[in-house]
Amino acid sequence: MRQFLLFFRKEMLEMGRSFKWLWVPLVFLMLGIMQPVVTRFMPVILESSGNMPKGMTITIDPPSGMEVMAQTLGQFNSVGLMILVLSIMTLISGERQSGVSQMIFAKPVSYLSYAAAKWAIMLSLVTASFVLGYAGAWYYTVQMIGSVETAAALKAALLYMLWLWFTGSLTLFMSSLMNSAAGIAFVSLGAAILLSMASTWLPRYAYSPGFLPEISVQWLQASEKPTGDLGAAILCLMCMIFFFMIAAYQVKIRKSNV
Amino acid sequence: MTRTLLQVRDLSKRFREREVVKGITFSIAEGSCAALLGPNGAGKTTTIRMLTGLLQPSGGSIKLLINGSPTTDRRPYIGFLPQMPVFYPWMTGAEFLLYAGELAGLTNREAKRETGEWLEAVGLRDEGKRRIGGYSGGMKQRLGLAQALIHRPKLLILDEPVSALDPTGRKDVLTLLQRIRRETTVLFSTHVLHDAEEICDEILMIRSGAIALQGSLEHVRRTHSEPVIRLEVGEDEASRSWLTAACSKNFVIHSEVSGRRAKLRVENVEQASLALMADAASRRIMIRSLEAGRSTLEDLFLKVVQS
Ligand SMILES: Nc1ncnc2c1ncn2[C@@H]1O[C@H](COP(=O)(O)OP(=O)(O)OP(=O)(O)O)[C@@H](O)[C@H]1O
Ligand SMILES: [Mg+2]
Repeated sequence: MRQFLLFFRKEMLEMGRSFKWLWVPLVFLMLGIMQPVVTRFMPVILESSGNMPKGMTITIDPPSGMEVMAQTLGQFNSVGLMILVLSIMTLISGERQSGVSQMIFAKPVSYLSYAAAKWAIMLSLVTASFVLGYAGAWYYTVQMIGSVETAAALKAALLYMLWLWFTGSLTLFMSSLMNSAAGIAFVSLGAAILLSMASTWLPRYAYSPGFLPEISVQWLQASEKPTGDLGAAILCLMCMIFFFMIAAYQVKIRKSNV
Repeated sequence: MTRTLLQVRDLSKRFREREVVKGITFSIAEGSCAALLGPNGAGKTTTIRMLTGLLQPSGGSIKLLINGSPTTDRRPYIGFLPQMPVFYPWMTGAEFLLYAGELAGLTNREAKRETGEWLEAVGLRDEGKRRIGGYSGGMKQRLGLAQALIHRPKLLILDEPVSALDPTGRKDVLTLLQRIRRETTVLFSTHVLHDAEEICDEILMIRSGAIALQGSLEHVRRTHSEPVIRLEVGEDEASRSWLTAACSKNFVIHSEVSGRRAKLRVENVEQASLALMADAASRRIMIRSLEAGRSTLEDLFLKVVQS
């Protein structure tokens, strides 16, 4: 436990000094605010661009607050996901590659604590960034667009956060297996995108974690309640535990880049 | 009384099909200083990584005996400095030492005290507050030494601790090692043989993964050093041709000439040097220097490596 805290403190310090604690939450906040603001001013923007034929008027149905929240999740799922993967991809592989790990693992340290600290910092960064971005989106949507149904929005947020945790775990897992940063980013992002795309043709009872973004969007938008969320959530948590165990084992058997 | 601290038996390492370390056996007595010598690629780093537990051996056993009985986890008793120490560039030297000390099991207060002490000892008192990213190679080496020693290990393992340092840095580190020696057993790899001769009392020479020579420095000196004469003559043609001729005298067993210098292995140094000087004087050849002595560890190293 003591070593976990030592490792965790070091990770916090590193993320602070490399400004990851600043720019990752900031990107999520901007993504979150952008959707309601752009939606609100879209008619104005279109009008002022002024190259519309005379006499033609466009009437855009103003979307509901819930729809804007759903679109925000869409933003998180592209740019947000990428920023997330890029900011944590070398968390494990970097120390092995640079050679610092040689000094760390020559000391009587616990591999489980080491891996756990990596997971803890990843979960902290993901959670803080997402909560900030989602809160920003919620606030501006209520201010500019319309009301948001609290219970549904919270449920959607919870499920979507699980999905981000899953992607983060997947990235750390790849980071423990591979050395090349580009490879880690490519495989993790590719797998995440494939999983969420597969949700359109997989049967619901497959409970793939890739359903989570879609389910959370449905919580916000659809009139009838989505199904399969509990199954997908449980499978997602199980995957995370599995990734963690394998990564901790990898850390143990590959202490340096030899 | 000398107790064995480290006992290595038939240690081997195979990377895929290549056997890099081929079953080496040796032991290190408590309180001694052992040098692991060998040319590039001999397997020094590989051996050391196995000793520190960073690399899983393919075969053989490593036993660290604490109070006479082998330990299951060697790491608490070992301090390790890698060949090219890398740190977190965003940390300061003091922060890294504190981190290393606490990871090694010191309490926060102990780690703080030791950090101050070791920064002082390795001459980084003022630089300790600066980020490691701005350190020079020599400063990193010294910081690496400090982090290896911070938990007062029983056995200090250093992989080429002085290769990257300038002469003053080298001297500092060697002086420090000499001081540490009194409390800690030291094993270090190097190919600077002069350093090994200066502070070690055990020699372990490996060549392509196998032990070529081992024993105490005394023993190695006694059994392997040979009488040698080193000669240096003037630039002129006559001197040079005399030097070449001198090499083929009947008392010379083996000779190496490079330019106006020659190294002659002889049967009897006194007789040979007298004969050489008389011969030179009679031909009016100027001998710039003549050194009668015994072959050094370096000569032996070259002989072992080239054979
Ligand atoms: N991970 C690895 N995979 C394959 N071969 C390796 C690996 N690590 C080392 N080797 C090989 O093992 C041999 C010994 O390497 P090692 O680094 O132990 O040499 P060394 O004695 O430390 O040399 P140097 O003086 O240059 O540091 C080399 O031929 C090297 O190519
Ligand atoms: Mg080496």
